[in-house]
Parts: sequence; structure tokens; C-alpha cells
Amino acid sequence: MNGASTMKKFLLAGAALAIGALSSAAALAQPAASQTILIQNARLITSGPQGVIENGDVLLRDGVIAGVGVDLAAPEGANVIDAAGRTITAGFIAPFSQLGIEEISLDREANDASPDPGFPLSAALDSLDAYNPTSSVIAVERAGGITRALISPQAGDKLFAGKAAVIDLSGRVASVTKANAAQLAMAGYSGAARSGDTRMGAWAMLREYLSEAASYAANPRDYLLRKREDRFFISDLEALGPVVAGREPLIISANSAADIRNVIRLKSDYSLNVIILGGSEAWRVARELAAANIPVILDAMQNLPTQFEDLGSTMANAARLQAAGVTIAFFNDGGTPHNMRLLPQYAGNAVAHGLPYDAAIAALTINPAKMFGVDAKLGSVEIGKAGDIVVWDGDPLEVTTRPVAVFIDGRAMSMENRQTKLRDRYKDLSKGDLPFAYRGEE
Amino acid sequence: MAVAAIAMLAACGKKGAESADHGTDAAPGAETSAVEVAAAEEPAKPADLIVRPPKDPFPSTYEPYPSKATLITGATVLTGTGERIENGAVLIVDGKISAVGPAASVSAPEGATQIDAKGKYVTPGIIDIHSHLGVYPSPSTESTSDGNEAVSPNTAQVWAEHSVWPQDAGFTRALAGGITSLQILPGSANLFGGRSVILKNVPSRTVQGMKFPGAPYGLKMACGENPKRVYGLTGGPSTRMANFSGYRAAWIEAAAYKKKWEDYWADAEKFYADEKNDSDKKGDEEKKPPEPPTRDLKLETLAGALNGDIIVNMHCYRADEMVQVLDMAKEFGYKVATFHHAVEAYKIADYLAKNNVCAAMWADWWGFKLEAYDGVRENISLVDAQPNSCAIVHSDSEVGIQRLNQEAAKAMADGAHIGHKATEEHAIEWLTSNPAKAMGIADKTGSLEPGKMADVVIWNRTPFSVYALAEKVYIDGALMFDRDDPKRSPRTDFEIGQPGNGFTGGAGQ
Repeated sequence: MNGASTMKKFLLAGAALAIGALSSAAALAQPAASQTILIQNARLITSGPQGVIENGDVLLRDGVIAGVGVDLAAPEGANVIDAAGRTITAGFIAPFSQLGIEEISLDREANDASPDPGFPLSAALDSLDAYNPTSSVIAVERAGGITRALISPQAGDKLFAGKAAVIDLSGRVASVTKANAAQLAMAGYSGAARSGDTRMGAWAMLREYLSEAASYAANPRDYLLRKREDRFFISDLEALGPVVAGREPLIISANSAADIRNVIRLKSDYSLNVIILGGSEAWRVARELAAANIPVILDAMQNLPTQFEDLGSTMANAARLQAAGVTIAFFNDGGTPHNMRLLPQYAGNAVAHGLPYDAAIAALTINPAKMFGVDAKLGSVEIGKAGDIVVWDGDPLEVTTRPVAVFIDGRAMSMENRQTKLRDRYKDLSKGDLPFAYRGEE
Repeated sequence: MAVAAIAMLAACGKKGAESADHGTDAAPGAETSAVEVAAAEEPAKPADLIVRPPKDPFPSTYEPYPSKATLITGATVLTGTGERIENGAVLIVDGKISAVGPAASVSAPEGATQIDAKGKYVTPGIIDIHSHLGVYPSPSTESTSDGNEAVSPNTAQVWAEHSVWPQDAGFTRALAGGITSLQILPGSANLFGGRSVILKNVPSRTVQGMKFPGAPYGLKMACGENPKRVYGLTGGPSTRMANFSGYRAAWIEAAAYKKKWEDYWADAEKFYADEKNDSDKKGDEEKKPPEPPTRDLKLETLAGALNGDIIVNMHCYRADEMVQVLDMAKEFGYKVATFHHAVEAYKIADYLAKNNVCAAMWADWWGFKLEAYDGVRENISLVDAQPNSCAIVHSDSEVGIQRLNQEAAKAMADGAHIGHKATEEHAIEWLTSNPAKAMGIADKTGSLEPGKMADVVIWNRTPFSVYALAEKVYIDGALMFDRDDPKRSPRTDFEIGQPGNGFTGGAGQ
């Protein structure tokens, strides 16, 4: 290696030395302004064509991945970091969440995820209007290795929830990766409960919305002049335009095999780009889903007959879907944002129940990127993609593993957050000269 | 230990006439005895004429299932007492732990089943101190929502066991996760939610067939947001101060009720003693025996908590509230055994240890309400780091209960990152012996020690891993779950014959 004199070198401390790891993470945070970072000597799980590279290097420059391989030369002025054999993955992507729109679930003012019953609009609601990039939840999830997320409203008492967006977890104002990344609709019992308490109502209503949206999109002026049903709001129909055109994915919450078959039919009837959310019985329809090219975002720990639509729930769902060729990703806690950092644990449990390891990593990285059409930029450690990288102190899917460094768009992120500060404030309870309120902001 | 166990079992097995031994110290809801006032064919003994509310009107009918003598060898054994034995052996005989030690030191009796567990781990059965299985079962429908009697802030009169649906599929999933004992609590809508029940995780037609023999009852109480949210618009409490006035008013009433019964028993003892002494004298006018107080189920449970027969489980998130609860317990002379959830326990870990109170916690749940906003991943570890602490990993979830081992693993890892390194043999106590102690069943289960119930799990690897699976789960020595044998995997009545379910591996696997 040349250029040693011009390089600042940072060593990630040994795995056993927890304090060392924290301080090295702090050291990593310092070169944030710098544009060029070379991370050496890592086990690279690329989620891309290069597969797994042992003793690999990643070069981050100008926010993107500029090099992936073995023994990369360090450019002049690069910060060189020795990963000491640790594992690197692409930043994990949460494919369904209320991150940044829900600070505290049971606090009305701190939760914008869904409208109260009776509120008129639905599909027109835009998650980005409520999005707060400085939500304390973001830094907490980021420290767990999540670098991007789909943020979606939850449905009020209407079938559609609104517009979802892909964001990054840097906390920057300019953290929106893709607006209008998806729309969310309720089917299954979630749909029935909003449609006269019958699935017949849900499917009839969904079709009606989609037909109206197509009709509006075909000729808005004509539609407005025509005598029409007053239960549709123009802004909702407008929001559904890209959905009925097949450009914007429609995430449909459905669980039973019967409801999922209806989704497959709906996709075909309206030429939609649909993604199943939930899919607890999806394994029973796995081949049809694969043939229809419908991905599934599933809760890998759903193995109970929570409702009648979940009777076939099994820990083997992920493995069976993957084996049939269905693209899968994971969500947890119904999308509430506070523990998206546990997605690797969900993936790990899927592996414990038969999902191949590399498929589990793909489900956390490249698969969600594909679902929302951002895979050209995200989801793998490949040249030209965004510099979203996580350095882990062990197997990323293991419950005892934590990230030691997180990069978003090539910048080292702070690993601190409200939780680490609270912890530091109270980790020593001995009485000081001043109250606890004076601790923890050094 | 064995002696204590026998004494406890004996005490709980007592019926009828022997209950007189408990004398006037016994309070309502206390040990043994029945109202079964001797259906006197022989002349009634005076003690039989003294009315005592029945202690155990819905007695456990659980009996261990048949087991074979079993020797498990070669595994890493985490005993639940802080010990770790590499290449260890656990011998099960007659449903009890018979021997634990290095493999070379334990030999199999004639005809024993031998299990080579090389490369695997053996731990005590996992215990969840906080579960709503059965009272909020799967499927979750209006028909099955039986966990919160949310009609009044004090429903100490209700008993969780009367809501438990034994056909909840959640029990089977928990079994596949190594759960052998669990406490079912009423929900947290009320200041006083009602009585809990401790179960062995064995499928049964009846809840009595699951009840942990000889386990004490618990009382569920709740702090903070939940009670005031539920009753804020219907007469209160609508504030935290009213939560406290509600608790204290109830304790005052309970203390008076307790005293009424104690006075009655004292009077009655004296009356019958006098009657016996006077029985030789003739011609005295007939004296009337003292009248027992009227039973009140609500106050009976609270009085039982005051005299220590019923264990107090307090749902509480905030540090400041927990410390106030400790003062209230001193005011009324009762003991809080465990704070449940205790998301801010790390802020007052010193108070908890000093007051000998356990904290039952999640590894990382937070943010779902304001009183859970200050959650930190190191909570369990920081509580555990105090001398004489009692940290417990709990679930409060039909999903989490399936993987308490993983919750403990996360807590262990996060503690290590700030220098609180807990060994596996120590961390396993968070989900075995510590909850057993907090639930009053530590003399019977929660560790691998000779004489204890053979509640044992064989894991395919260290349980502190996302890839760990419970391979075999023994309850009282009987093999109740075997991942490799579909015939040893329970299916509930609700699930059997349902489409789709037949293709899963049983127990939701």
C-alpha cells in the first residue's frame, strides 16, 4: 500500500473490546466531511453478482461505492479503515414502516401515521407531508444497521392508506430517496373491516376505486364534467393514477390464500404492480405468486392463527416462498418504527427455519430495493451504488451482533442517539455533585 | 432445598381438619382450609366450626405425564444456578432431576434412555413471568378477548384462570420455544387487574389440568398510562395522582377486611375454647358462636396480598412511579415482588436491588407510548449489574414468549458493549431461576438441581443465538415436545383439521 503518509488510518477495535469499538466508531464519525474512505480487510457480503468476498475492500468516494474487490489501492488522501476481518453488508432496507411519521405510537400529537375514522381523504395522503427527518427513532434504527426505509401511512377507515416514500436514515433534511414510491391498500380482513365487514365489500370497493382512478386518468376533464359518484375524492383518484398505470407499486395487505388469489386476479385485471404485505398463508400460493411475479413482504415470526385468515401460518413461510422463486422481504411489528433494527433477527429466524442465508441477506437489501424500483442505486455493495454500508461486529443476522459503523451515501453516521445518551447518563448511579440532569452531554 | 419443597407441598396439600394448624394468623385467601365445615358424622371438632374461606377452590389436577429414566450426556449444561458444565450430564428419574454433573460422574440406571447431546446445550425449562396466553388467545377475536375486565379500576375479584382458554395455540408455540412454566396475568387496564395463575405448559382439556401444583397466586396491578387512559372519561382515575389514591383507598379497605376476619377467628377460637372448658358445667345459658364476616372476593385477594400469600406483580414503566410504589408498599406493609415492563428500571436499579424487588423486562421494546419512550437496550444488563439484583426477561407477547432465549442474548450482548459482561450461565438465570424466585416456585423448578421438577430443554446449540432451536422439551421428565417427532408436537382443538395447518410441522413450525 502506498501513500501511507497522506492517509489517516483508523482501526476498528477488536470485537471483544466493546469500549474500543465505540470509540473507533466515534473516530469513524470524524472523517464524515471527507469524500474518500477505503475500508479494508472485510468479509464483504455484497448482495450483488460478486457474492461474498473474503478479505475484501470497499472504496467510498463522493457518496457512492467506487470500488469493490481485493487489495484495492488507496487513493491519495483517502481515510483508510481496517475492518479487521469484520463483515460488511449493504445497508439494510426496511420495506414497510412508519419511520419519521410516528414518534410515539399511543400519543396523538406524536403519531401522524394514520387519520382518525371519518376523515375523508385516503390515497391522497402523503407520508412525506408528515415526515420528520429528525425523529429520534431514526438515529436509533440507524444504529441497528437500517439505512433506508419505505415510509408508509397506515390506513384509517378507508381502504387506501396513502403515498409511501423511500427515505434514508441520515437524519438530513434532504433524506428523501424517492417520493411516491408506493401506495398501500387493505384487503383481507383489514379490508373487510373497512368495507361493511365483509370481504365482498373490500374487493368490490377496491375494484371500484381502481376503475374510477383509471377512468379519471384517461380523461380528467371529461371525468370532472360527468355526473359521478360523490364518494370518490378527486385527489384520491389522482393519487391512484400512477398505480392503475402500473408505474407505482400497490402494496396490498392480505394474508389468507383465498385473499392472495384475489390479489393475483386483481393484478392481472388492472395490470397493476402489486406487492403483498403480510402474506401469512402466502406459502400455500407460492407457485402462483412466483408466476405472477408478485413479491411478498412478510413477518417472519408470524406462526400463530392470529385471525382466521392466518390459519396456515408457519415459520417455514419465508423458506417456502423463496424456494418457489418469490421475491421476499421482511417487516415487523406491523410497521411501527421503533424496532426495525430487529429485522436482522427476523431474517435470522427465517434462516433457522430453512431460508438459505444469502436469501435472507437479499431479503434485507436487494429485494426491497427491487420492489420499489431503487435497485439501480441501492441494495448491494456494487460500484456506482450509493455508499450505504454497514460494518458488523459478527454475523449480521445474529442477535448478539451490532453494527460498529454505518455509512449512508458514503458518510460515516453517528452511532449515538437518545438511547445511548440515556444509557450513559444512568450507567453509573452513584451520587454525584449535581443531579443526573447534568450528566451525559459532554 | 428438598426439605423446603416437601414442607411447601405438604402445606399446600392440607385439607379440612388439619387447617386448624394455621390458627389465627391465617388471613382470607390464605393457606389451605375449606369452608367445607365438617359434614359432621362424628362430633365436629371446634376448629372445624370456624369458617375459613377456601384457599384453593379450583385445585390443580395436573399430574406429570409418564416419563422414562433419561440420561442426557455430552452437552454444555447451564444449570440455572450460575454454573456451567462442559461435557455435562443431566439424569432424569421419576420426573425429577436426579443428578447433574460432569458426564463421567453420572451413570445411567438400568434401562434408562440415553441421549447423546454432544455439541448441544441443556438448560432448565424457560419460565415466562408475564404472559397473556389463554386470556388473549389466538385467534384474537371479540369472542376470545378475555384479559381485561375493563369496567372498573379495581377488579381484584377476578381470577385470570377463569378466562384462560386451554385451546390457545400460543401455548404450543411457546412449548416449541422451551417454555415449561408461565404466569398468566390479567391485563393492565385496571389499578388492580385481578389474580394471576401459574401454569405448567402442558396441553390440557381444562385449566385445572395446567395449573402448577402448589404455586402461589399473584395479584396484577398497573401504574401509569393504562388505567388513566381507560377510565379518564368514565369517572377516573384520569390522573396519576388518582391512580395512587385509588390504590391506597383499596389497601385501607383491605386492611380493615383482613382485620375483621382475624378478629372473628380470634373470637371464634376463644369461644370454642371456652365452650370446651365450660362443657362440664351444666345449666349455663346457650352462648351463640361469633358470626363470620361476609366474604368479599375483591378484598379477599387484596388481603391475601397484604399478608404475603398472594404475590404482587406491578406493571410500571417509569422510574419515579416505581419508587413511589415502593413507598406505598411500606405504608401498607406489603411487598412488591416484581415490577413488570420496567422500561426505566435502569434509572433506579439501585433502589430495586436495595428493596429486593425483581424487574421483568424486554430486551428492546420501546416507544409505543410516552412512558416507554426512554427505553434503552442495556436496561436488563444495568439492572443485573447491581449487587443482589433480580433481572428477569419477560415477553408479554405470544410471539416473544417463543424466543425468550433470544431476548436474553440481545440483553447480554448489549451489556457486554458497555462493560457488563454476563456469562451464558449467568444470563440463563434471567429466564429460569429468577422468574421462578419471583413467582414463588423456585423450590420446585427453575434450575437443574437434584429433587426439582425435571423441566428441561435440549437446544441444538447455545440458546443465546438466533439460530438456536429447542429440540426436546421435558416437563416433569415427560418429553412434551420433540422437533424431530411430529407425534411429540401438540396441536390444539382449534387448529386440528384446518386447511393449511396439516402441512405445517405442528406447533407452528
